[in-house]
Amino acid sequence: MSKRGLVRNFKPLTILTNEQVESIHSGTLHVLAKTGIRIEHKRALKLFEQNDCIVDYNSNRVRIPPALVEACLRKCPSSFIVRARDEENNVTIGGNTTYFKNSCGMQIIDLDTWEPRTATRKENYDAITILDGLDNLHILGPYTAFFGFEGISPVMAIPESCAAKFRNSSKVQIEGYSNDSEIFQIQMAKAVEAEILQQILASAPMTWYSDAIEALFRAVEAGFPITVFSGQVSGGTAPATLAGAIITNNAELMAAIVLAQLIKPGTRVLPGDYAFAMNMKSGAPAFGAIGSSLHQVAFNQIWRFYGLPVYNVTSGYLSSKSMDYQAGYEKAIQAITSALSGANLIGLHGAVSAELTFHPVQAILDDDVAGMIGRFLEGILVTTETLAVDLIDRVGPIPGHYLGTEHSRKWWKIEQFVPKAADWMTYQEWIAQGKPKALDYGKQRMKEILASHKPKPLTPSQDKEISKILEDAENFYKRLGKL
Amino acid sequence: MNEILDKLKKAILEYDAKGAGNIAAEAIKEGVDAVQVADAAVEAIRQIGDGYGKGELWLPDLIGGANAMKSAMSFIEDALKKKGRKRQTLGRIVIGTVYGDIHDIGKTMVSSLAEAEGFEVIDLGVSIEAKTFLEAFREHEPNIVALSALMTTTASEQRKVIEMFKEQGIREKVMVAVGGGAVTEEFARSIGADGYAPTAPLAVNLFKKLMGKGGKK
Repeated sequence: MSKRGLVRNFKPLTILTNEQVESIHSGTLHVLAKTGIRIEHKRALKLFEQNDCIVDYNSNRVRIPPALVEACLRKCPSSFIVRARDEENNVTIGGNTTYFKNSCGMQIIDLDTWEPRTATRKENYDAITILDGLDNLHILGPYTAFFGFEGISPVMAIPESCAAKFRNSSKVQIEGYSNDSEIFQIQMAKAVEAEILQQILASAPMTWYSDAIEALFRAVEAGFPITVFSGQVSGGTAPATLAGAIITNNAELMAAIVLAQLIKPGTRVLPGDYAFAMNMKSGAPAFGAIGSSLHQVAFNQIWRFYGLPVYNVTSGYLSSKSMDYQAGYEKAIQAITSALSGANLIGLHGAVSAELTFHPVQAILDDDVAGMIGRFLEGILVTTETLAVDLIDRVGPIPGHYLGTEHSRKWWKIEQFVPKAADWMTYQEWIAQGKPKALDYGKQRMKEILASHKPKPLTPSQDKEISKILEDAENFYKRLGKL
Repeated sequence: MNEILDKLKKAILEYDAKGAGNIAAEAIKEGVDAVQVADAAVEAIRQIGDGYGKGELWLPDLIGGANAMKSAMSFIEDALKKKGRKRQTLGRIVIGTVYGDIHDIGKTMVSSLAEAEGFEVIDLGVSIEAKTFLEAFREHEPNIVALSALMTTTASEQRKVIEMFKEQGIREKVMVAVGGGAVTEEFARSIGADGYAPTAPLAVNLFKKLMGKGGKK
């Protein structure tokens, strides 16, 4: 069994003409063949060399012929399953299905002062429990919920996060890599009979460092699917033009995709768009800027042309530092454009100020955005029953009405989406109830979910195995003097 | 003489690195006092710094101006050295991104803004080993050593640099400032840095504050 996710029943939004797609494609192939890409990994360089690439071992630069790139893109499945530890939460990524995932936070945000602070272990566990309990959140992101929490050393952040997710959720998880953490996350996934969608990140411009490539080798050799992306920042680490930035972004991704297919043909790959424009005042990425949406829509169109599923990583990233008006429009505009343009996976839930902070209440509010988008993607059902011509005839003009009909009782729930944490009261009720806002509903729902939702537990032997792997990780880092 | 200095200022204000270098070299060759050439270049870069501060100019302008300034300064510094003269600056800073970390942009922003505000900056680049900071300290005798780290995994290198300065008995001779995405005030204090700043403009304020304390301890 596999969770179907949200289904889009109309053509995806496109933004480029076919000729523009071709121009970007040929530009990308040209860059890979002529400029080449820097890959700081000896074993990878050898493999490229054995497959007709020109490798300069002094600069670690690989020049990849267009035919090899195209052949490797064709080896990627256009749709694939990722296994969760609970079969019911498996996902099938591709086609017209959209899933949502959460973002993580370095810290938790205080809902009264809006200042960040380090989360506690309990807050981390509770946040994962809430994510497990949300209807429209299908995949848990890396470093979730918090990238480190009280009482753990930085090198243990990923193993601890991975273990916490397996213990508190039975949904599919993505995980990152740092200090060889992938060794332990692969072991944990195998211990609970699940897979990890391994995230692999390029360093723009046009560079892959050894830790990323090592994680790629380990995940691919373990038979796990990978999601590849590049944290490019236009004007800084990529051209300031969208078309140029898409070329370097895609070239960076393609180099890793070629490598993955050379290691193991047919490897499941999910290209992700993690591109930003630079905020030219601060030098930081301009989170939530409309340029990111333009980049994502074009990205989705081009990778669909290649026949691969697509992931928009940053649709939930905000420049806003609190759950306010700006946060709402930054989230909603990015997520809807991602969904309309056919993203198969959208990062939306929980982030406040990009990855700087996370809060489960934000994830709860975002789950309504995901639900609204999901309803929109379903589109309009047109059948004899929904056209309702006979019913219209029966009801006739005023004083006829539809409220008491069986048709209304049956169909309104299917046709409408009702948010779970939004203000839907009349004005009078709202004033009488103390003027509650979405944030108040979110807080209330957080309490309700924590009181009622029980994630499917690991078996005692699985739980023991996870503890043992964590212990092994600690010993590993102690031996290396990192802990 | 004023004409060629105006030309130099104009080249920097137009972000023309090649032009600024050529004009500075020409001015020196013509026998214009190197300190005056330096002053003209500094005046131009300060104008760009002011524009950035007011929100009229943006980062690409600031970095473009700093590159033009650097190009001119390479000729000016040579001339100053030959004559054994020094130009007036707010202080000398050695800056770099620590070992294992290749993030350049934040560090370059700090060094460009500091130059635009009138500091002399020696930018060592990225992934700089602790011993290279030590060598740079001995060569340049800066008032401030500034260490950048974007990643949590490399922030510990900042501690290593400070420890090495202590071991070599020179920690008291220089102010150490730290910054970068992975660094917090708390972390800066824990590793014994003299100051921390979260953004480039605040880093320049910090440098001024540290100089107010006399720069060298």
